[in-house]
This record gives sequence, structure tokens and C-alpha cells, in this order.
Amino acid sequence: MIALRRQLPLLITMVTGLVMAGQYYVPHPASEQLLTTVTKWLQIIGGFALVLGITSLFHVHAAKIRRKEAGWGYSLMLYAGMLGTIVVGLWNGGKESIDGAMTSFGWVYSYTLVPLQGTMFAILAFFIASAAYRSFRARSREAAVLLIAAVIVMMGRVPLGEYLLPISGDLSSWILNVLNASVRRAILIGVSLGAVALSFKIIFGVERSYLGGGKE
Amino acid sequence: MTFAERMLRIDRRIIFLVIGLCTLFPLLFPVGLPIRISSEVRGVFDYIDNLPEGSVFLLSLDFDPASKPELYPQAIAILRHAFNKNVRVIAMTLWVSGTGLADSIVSQTAKEAGKENGKDYVFLGWSPGGSAVILNMGQDLYTAFPADYGGKATKGLPVLAGVQNLRDVTYAVSLGAGNPGVEAWYVFGKDKYKFELGGGCTGVMAPGLYPLLRSGQINGLIGGLRGAAEYETLIGQKGKAVAGMDAQSATHLAIIVLVAICNVFYFTMRRQQRRQERMGS
Amino acid sequence: MPSLLRIVPLIAVLLALMPQILWAQTSLAPPQQLHVFDTPSDGGGSLTATWASSASDRAAGTYQVLFHEGAPPPDQTGWKVLAEFPANSHFVREAKAAWWTSPGPPGDHVYFIKNGKGIELKPGHAYAVTVAAVNGQERSIAQPVVASPEPNWMNWNQLNNLVLALLFGAVVFYAINLAKRKEIFLRRIPGLDAVDEAIGRATELGKPVLYMTGAHDMNDPATIAAAIILGRVAKKAASYETELLVPHREPITMAVCQEITKQAYLEAGKPDLFKDDANFFITSDQFSYTAAVDGIMLRRKPAANFFMGSYFAESLLLTETGASTGAIQIAGTDSDHQLPFFVTTCDYTLIGEELYAASAYLSKEPIQVGTLRGQDLGKAFILGVIGIGTLLATIMVVTGATWPQLLLDLFKDLK
Repeated sequence: MIALRRQLPLLITMVTGLVMAGQYYVPHPASEQLLTTVTKWLQIIGGFALVLGITSLFHVHAAKIRRKEAGWGYSLMLYAGMLGTIVVGLWNGGKESIDGAMTSFGWVYSYTLVPLQGTMFAILAFFIASAAYRSFRARSREAAVLLIAAVIVMMGRVPLGEYLLPISGDLSSWILNVLNASVRRAILIGVSLGAVALSFKIIFGVERSYLGGGKE
Repeated sequence: MTFAERMLRIDRRIIFLVIGLCTLFPLLFPVGLPIRISSEVRGVFDYIDNLPEGSVFLLSLDFDPASKPELYPQAIAILRHAFNKNVRVIAMTLWVSGTGLADSIVSQTAKEAGKENGKDYVFLGWSPGGSAVILNMGQDLYTAFPADYGGKATKGLPVLAGVQNLRDVTYAVSLGAGNPGVEAWYVFGKDKYKFELGGGCTGVMAPGLYPLLRSGQINGLIGGLRGAAEYETLIGQKGKAVAGMDAQSATHLAIIVLVAICNVFYFTMRRQQRRQERMGS
Repeated sequence: MPSLLRIVPLIAVLLALMPQILWAQTSLAPPQQLHVFDTPSDGGGSLTATWASSASDRAAGTYQVLFHEGAPPPDQTGWKVLAEFPANSHFVREAKAAWWTSPGPPGDHVYFIKNGKGIELKPGHAYAVTVAAVNGQERSIAQPVVASPEPNWMNWNQLNNLVLALLFGAVVFYAINLAKRKEIFLRRIPGLDAVDEAIGRATELGKPVLYMTGAHDMNDPATIAAAIILGRVAKKAASYETELLVPHREPITMAVCQEITKQAYLEAGKPDLFKDDANFFITSDQFSYTAAVDGIMLRRKPAANFFMGSYFAESLLLTETGASTGAIQIAGTDSDHQLPFFVTTCDYTLIGEELYAASAYLSKEPIQVGTLRGQDLGKAFILGVIGIGTLLATIMVVTGATWPQLLLDLFKDLK
């Protein structure tokens, strides 16, 4: 039983990990075919996993409705919204428009999803401003440097900024292209080494806590 | 609590109101400040501009409605340019929630340019698999997309004549709002199947893609609304992005002023605290 | 009759040499030492042609690469012109190849015939290729060569990549062994020191702890690292008897995290406190998920928010809402583009690889700590390579020497 729970997953991880790492160095079409097949498997597993996710979602909200917890009306809305969209989607074969004419599913898409998502994204601008007001303080010399760089980039990225301070355009390009790009590369090198080391640990079974924590 | 401290803890809804007004007024009363063209946007423009007639241009609209304000104007401007140059346009998306939006963008611009579906352009729609779709297209475009968004078989479409896989694409541009997006098109597309690649993204993502640009992995980058405005200026058809630049100018300036005010209050508060400490000791 | 039989081969030889004889009448010499062969290290859709450069190579003249499916065509009109370029271009030294996979001497000309753009090379099929030197109206064709493309099992261009990866792996395992024998110093990571404090505060206030694993699935090392840290956080939350909420964007990650949380409660000796729905799925859509989590933050007012893993534009929407509820916020991400937002709005931020270092820091196990030392050695190596590489490249540009290229190639990304 322990072998099934611990050893078998570790063995599968090791074999697939090594095969997929090796695949990168093999240009043969068979290798590319393997990559495509594995990705398709992942898609299929992902499809089944979605059932798991939706079950969890339904379960959590059904419990809320049953127990009449605070805000249970929202859970009811979730059920209505989800089932309603599924029905309308199936009715129109998942098409937002047919021969240029908008379907009812297209209506749901254009007049609920599009404005709702747009609204959420637009809130970013407000949050950026409030976060900047709260946090952009020249508490130290380093913070002051960051502050100045941020102001230059903000000026340089809009016509009004360039109009008021003509050099800000070139300066912001330099900051983005040289300072920003080099720092990001440095972070990326660290991240990549960390990711490779973690992958090695997982492939060779050194790191196993992702299987459910604990030691044997 | 001193005045400075009170101002530093100002209700954030006041800040929201300032930003809201700074966005609204320029949209109602546009000024139309001149827009300087950056080399990264020119990179994409020049490449499309120099494509011979009939070349295969692939546009992947990898975004959902959330990023519409920034990427929609980019897509419209690029498509107008491509249709104007009479290149064959293959449009698609890797984001399922962006399919409807992508379809409306492509059909709207094609109609405007008088282009025929299947002959001058095709919208392939969405196929499951995220980045794996790029790999599938690299092997065989017709396996990845057996039918276009309208359900017509892709094999035999005049616009795809001579196109078997991604190797037959002359230029590809991914307008990405996340993953899969520009990076995925480089790693799984250009790197493997050797076509030229350009990118477009939201303003927040642009700094993150500069390393790709600097290393030549992409030949140009359209960043956010600003990038879209530059592209609109380059093709001489000013649209939503140029109109939005005044609003963006005003909000950037408002944030700069807010940050300056916050620092003034911060230093005032610090000075007061130091004075109190000195008096206390 | 026998004499006639003797004449036939002679005539055949003469006919075969006819083009050479005819070409010999022009002043233009045909390209010499033409080699056409399967391009090594590829999937089988390419041929490589190399030929010696000539003293008369200049921009005014051109080379034409001619192609024919199967054997050479019976007459010159049968050739398909694949490419035409100035005679002083397409040298081996310009091709992006390392010295160990170079198709020929640096001074030779090279052309790669690839699949696509009107031609389709099938593995195992024979193709005739030749090169013509052209100068105005004059054209001189080299002896055609027949070759067939074959798929290869190893991309030798990436040999350096493989060797470096194996070397790095060996260094990591060496460092792990070293860490088992002697203690290795770990610098403080304030964000991880604050984990206990944050959970403690939630316990004092009687409020839940909110933990997020990011936008990606279990394919991403950042999500795996986030899941590993969740184990430690869940164990601490269990021992303090504090409620844990883990909303997910990805069902498989949810299933894995459920197991991890269950194990953590078991290890803490509080299996009865474990709730199956502590880990729950919301949606895989970015902003719908954000709206739902923001709602949880505003209604449940968690005292501690953890943002681990990969994030996109939702990061600020989540952290700014969290900040407005007064929660202690700890973020850890390898999404460098979102770091400014996390740094601005969170109390502590694990930057880049600190996220991967977290499990080592929290457990202090030699295996984990040794891995960190291995990473440090890898970084030191890369730093050294950058320094020496810059110096060598400068020497190469200033002096025109070619020897630094031999070393520089070792660290080039070749596909």
C-alpha cells in the first residue's frame, strides 16, 4: 500500500521527468510527437480535473444555501448564472455569432462578461494611484531613487509628460531598456536556477512534500 | 493627529475620485497632444509595412475582454495596416474567453477594408491546449485547426494556399495579456519554427518583455495604450488609443502630483516628530 | 560491333562531361568543392550545401542555389532556383553554429535548404542540389550532388546546454551531501520569519488565514513551491487552531493542496480540525477569481494573507484590497513583472528565487539547505562567465582575434 501511495508516484515522476527533460535535446519528429501527445494527455486530465473543481464549487455554495449562511443569496446567483450560461451556450453551440448575427450566448458574452471583466481591470488604475499615494515615500535614499525613476517613467510614457519634460521620453526608454531589463535578467537567472534545482529535487525524489507532505 | 498625518491617511475614495475625474474630462474634452514614435513600435510597423503582397501574416489575439481597453486598439490598428498592405491574414486566439471579442475585431476590420473571409483572411478561433496549440500548428496547421471559427474546413481555403505549418508564416504578432502570450509564441513558435515574431501587451506587462526585445527574440513591442496610440499615428488612422492618451496623460500627472503631495506631508510629519523627540529629550 | 560497344561508354562520358565542357567555355569558374549533406541535429527537413569561396567573390557577382527533386534534371532549365545572393555573403563564419557543429571551414560559403516557403523536404527522399556562380549574363554551374535529409536523434548544438545542466545537477547533489556533513549558513529572509507572527496574529484576533497558490497549475515550479510552503503554514495554523482558507484557480492544484493540508493537520496532531472545504475551487478566470477573493477578504476579514506562486494583473487588486482590511500580507513570487505591486502593498515579499528557498528556510533540512548552496554556486559560475565573457568579447572586437570565440561558443544558446 505504501509502495502504491509513495513509491509508484515517485517512480512515475522520475521516469516522466527524465524523459521530458531528454526530449528537449532530441530533434527527431518522434520526440516532438511525444511532446504533443503528453500535452494532449495533460489537456484530458485537465478536463477531468475541471469536474473536480466545479464539484467543489457547487458543494461549497450548496452548503451555504442549505445552512442559509450570510450572503447565501450570492451563492444562489452563482448557481443561476452558471447554469443559465451553460444552457444558453449549449443552445447556441458555444458560438457568440453565427453568420455575423449575435446569438443569445453572444449577448451574455458581450453585455455581461465583457463589461464585468473590463470593470475589474479598470479598477487597477484606481488601486495603482491609492497604492502609490500610500507607499511611494522617500523614506530612504534607495526609496528616493525609486521614486525619481518612477516619476520619470510615468512622464516619459505619456505625451503630456514628454511635452512638459522633453527629455523624459528618452530617459524613460533608457531606464526601461537598460536598468529595468538588466535587473529583470538578474532576477530571471536566480529564478531559473531555483526552478532547475527544484526540478532536479522533484525528479530524483529528494523533494516529496508536494505528494502530501510528511516523511515515510 | 496632525494635519499631515490626517492627509497621509486620507480616505482612498478621494484618490479614486481624482483619478476618475482625470480620466473623464480629457475623454470629454480632448486636447490631442503629439505622440512620439518609439523604436519598439516602429519595429512591428516597419516589418508589416515591408511585407510583400500575399505574404502570410499571423495575428494571435491572446487576450480576454479584461484587457480590451489596451489591446483592442492595438489589434484594430495592426489589422488595418495588414489589410491595407494586402497580406494574407490568419487570425486566432489562445484564450477561450477572448474568442468572441477576437471574432468581432477581425470581422469588423475586414469588413471595413472590404476583405473576403476565406480568401483574404481567416479567423481560426480557439483550440484547446494553450501553448501546445502553437506546437501543433508548427507540425500541421490543419490538425490544430481542422475548421475555422465559422465551421468551414481550413484545408482548401484560398487564404491558406501553400501554408502547411508555422514555417510558412512570414510574420507573426501575438497580442498577449498574460500566459499563453508573447513569451509562449517565442518559446514554442519562433524558436522552433523560425518565423519572425513581434509582440503587443498591456502596459503593466511591457517592462517584463523588454529583455525579449533587447535580445532580438521579438523584433518589436507594442506596449499598452501608448503603443496602440503610436501605431494608430503611424498608420495615419487615429482611433480609440490616441483619444485615450489624453486621459492617460492626465492620470499619470495626477499620480505624480499625488505622490509629490504625499511626500510633502510625509516630510512635514517626520520633521514634526523629530521636533517633538528633541523637545521630549 | 565490339568497337561500337567500346565507343558507347566513351560517348556517354563525353555527354556527361558536356556541360563541364560548355561551361568551361565561359570565363567564370564554377563553384568548387560543393558538398551537400543532411543538416545534422535537426528533425529531418533540411539539407546543407557548402562550397569553397573563390578569389573572384565580390558583391557584383551572385551565387544561385539550384534544387531538383530526385536525380539532377536532364537539362539546365529543370533546376529550381531556391535562392540568389551576393557572392561575398553566406559564409560559414556568419552562420549561427558553434565550432563543434560547424558545417565547414569559416571561409567557405554555406546555404541551408529548409522546409517551407515553397519546398518540402521529406526524410529519406533524394534531392539534387547544385550552386551556380553568376556574373551578368554568365552562369557557371558546379557538379550537382544528390543528398537526402534524415531526422536525427541528438541536437549536438545543444550539447553545451546539456553539459551545463548536468554539471549544475551534480553541483546541487554535491552541495546536498556537503550540507549533510556540516552546517551551512542561511541568511535571514524576513518574509519567512514573519509567517509565525502573521498566523499568531490571526489566532489572537480569531480571524482566518487566507493562502493563495497563484495563477498557474502544478507544471509551474512556483506553484509547487507555493504548495510546499502551504504545508508549513497549514501545520502552524492547525497547531494554533486557526481557520485556513485556500481559494484555488486550478482544480489539480486544489486536489494536491487538499492532500498537503490534510497531512499538515495530521502532523500537527489535529486531524479532527481538518476541513475538506478549506481548499476550494473558484474559477480559472483571472478577474472572476480576483473578484471572488476580494469579496472573501472584505467579508471574512482574514488577519493574514499569503500570496505565493505566479501572478499577473490581479496581484494589485488582491493585495490592495487585503491592505485595506488591515491584514498582514506576505507575498512570494517569481513573476518579476508583478514584484513592484507586491513590494508596494505587502508587508513582506519573497523575491524570485526566495520563493524556492522558502521550504529550505522553513525546514532547515540539510537536503533543502544544500540545494540552496548549489544554487549559489551556480549563480557564482554564471557571474564569472558573464565577467570573463564580456572581457573576451571585448578582446575579440578590439584585436580581431578569433580564439575567444572558441570559449564564447561554450556558453551560447544554440538551437
